[in-house]
Amino acid sequence: MSRIWALAVNTFREAVRDRVLYSLLFFAIGVLALSLAIDDITIGDQAKVVRSVGQGAVDLFGSIIAMFLGISVIHKELERKTVYTVLSRPLTRATFVLGKYTGLLLTVFVEVAVLVVFYSIFMSIRSDPPGLTLFVSMGMLLMELALLTAWATLFSAYSAPTTAAAFTLAVFVIGHLADDIWLYGSQAEAPSLRMAAHTLYWALPNFELFSIRRAAVHQLAVPWDRVWPGLVYGLGYTTAVLAAAMAIFQRKDVK
Amino acid sequence: MTDASSSPPAIQAEGLRKVYRTGFWMRPHVGLDRLDLQVERGEIFGFIGPNGAGKTTTIKILMGLHRATKGVATLFGIDHRDPASRAQVGFLPERPYFYQHLTARELLRFYGQLMELPGDMITRRTEALLERVDLVRFADVPLRSYSKGMLQRVGLCQTLLHEPQLIVLDEPMSGLDPLGRALVRDLILEERDRGCTVFFSSHILHDVETLSDRVALLVRGQMRGVGTLDALLGGRTQYIEVQVSSVPEALARVVEEAPSETPAVLRLDPARADAVLEQAVALGVRIRSVAPVRQTLETLLLDEVDRARPVDEKRLGVLA
Repeated sequence: MSRIWALAVNTFREAVRDRVLYSLLFFAIGVLALSLAIDDITIGDQAKVVRSVGQGAVDLFGSIIAMFLGISVIHKELERKTVYTVLSRPLTRATFVLGKYTGLLLTVFVEVAVLVVFYSIFMSIRSDPPGLTLFVSMGMLLMELALLTAWATLFSAYSAPTTAAAFTLAVFVIGHLADDIWLYGSQAEAPSLRMAAHTLYWALPNFELFSIRRAAVHQLAVPWDRVWPGLVYGLGYTTAVLAAAMAIFQRKDVK
Repeated sequence: MTDASSSPPAIQAEGLRKVYRTGFWMRPHVGLDRLDLQVERGEIFGFIGPNGAGKTTTIKILMGLHRATKGVATLFGIDHRDPASRAQVGFLPERPYFYQHLTARELLRFYGQLMELPGDMITRRTEALLERVDLVRFADVPLRSYSKGMLQRVGLCQTLLHEPQLIVLDEPMSGLDPLGRALVRDLILEERDRGCTVFFSSHILHDVETLSDRVALLVRGQMRGVGTLDALLGGRTQYIEVQVSSVPEALARVVEEAPSETPAVLRLDPARADAVLEQAVALGVRIRSVAPVRQTLETLLLDEVDRARPVDEKRLGVLA
């Protein structure tokens, strides 16, 4: 456990000493601040639009940061050969993957926490402080990002960052369109098309299962009947993807 | 207390083979071919061979970085695939790369944590090693500003941090200035005196000759010789060096290269030396000195590389 933590802290430290991450973070905070300006140019339920834009910004930048860090998390170690002096220690490859993943997750969580703090400040300035549903919604976002990060780690374990970026982006997009893919498959007349759409649906994650944004934006009660199944699904799926990443990396020759 | 003679060797490999698949068609390329190797506890073992001979491949397999296609290897009797086999091992790769965002102190703390050393021991060992390699002044500077020599010294620190019983060094002197090489040499000898086993590969054959108790020679993935320097070189006289007052034409015809200057130095094949010397005396040539020149590791290496070349390559004159 202490080895996983040492690897995680090192990964976190490396990420937070990267200036690109700060650029992304400042840009995200800028977009959040802009949501205040939208207030003045919106007709109708202004507060709802502001909440919606703010949440969307946290979701989007959280995902971008998770993908940006995840796609190179293992490949960078291989490319820079820093892995030589780590894997030659008495630790398993699984420990290495888990340590890198934990560090990545720690970074993503801290980044999202920073964004949520700024979002809460901006909402409070508008005299519309965020409620419990918003925080639970952000918790669900973290579950989604944990799964997305696991996918990025899996791709990073066997491919270069550009390929890993393409694959992770594909998973991200398909994961958000999963319900539409299922619907499309169900309505398709050709059996082969139906089977392909449904296979894709089952093979890739459904990120919409983590979404309770609507309840958060409309300041409704927490829909726990969506939250718990979503968390169970997320934890199970993340564990499976990480196990696959470990299995792939276990067999890899370190060049 | 365990009897050293009954303890398993520091490194033992039997029939180690590595086949790489390269290119679009995944053509097989044998990197290592049925390697048998035994490194005893407490010895300094030099591992030599030309580029591509399989030295780094062997080391990577032993260090758990590559998977062997066939064969078995153990470190202190523990299967090398078991991470526990590396608990007593310190490894310095060729051209070491470290996390550039860390300082030397942070890096050594990180490695200490990976070895699960107690915090106070990490601090104590870190300071002692930084002092030993003269890096205390730069201990809190990020490694991205370090020179190659400084990185190599940090590399030595991480290798020795947990006081390992086996040190594996891949080309530790490569690219170092004379001071750096001297430091590496001193550390290797100090570690041996501490009872540690040192296994190192190097292209700098002089260092290998100076330091090693035993040497293994690898060419084209195959072991071509292993033993003490005396065993490897002792019985082999490379040529007889003869200094003569002059080289008359009749003598020039029987030697391979006849120098024009006088006095001349002839290099004679040991098998023909007696006959040539008798002829020289018969021709009235004054022989000033006769000295057998023993083979060096370098000449042994070149000979073995030449022997290992396939016949068609030799015929075409392809360089090995």
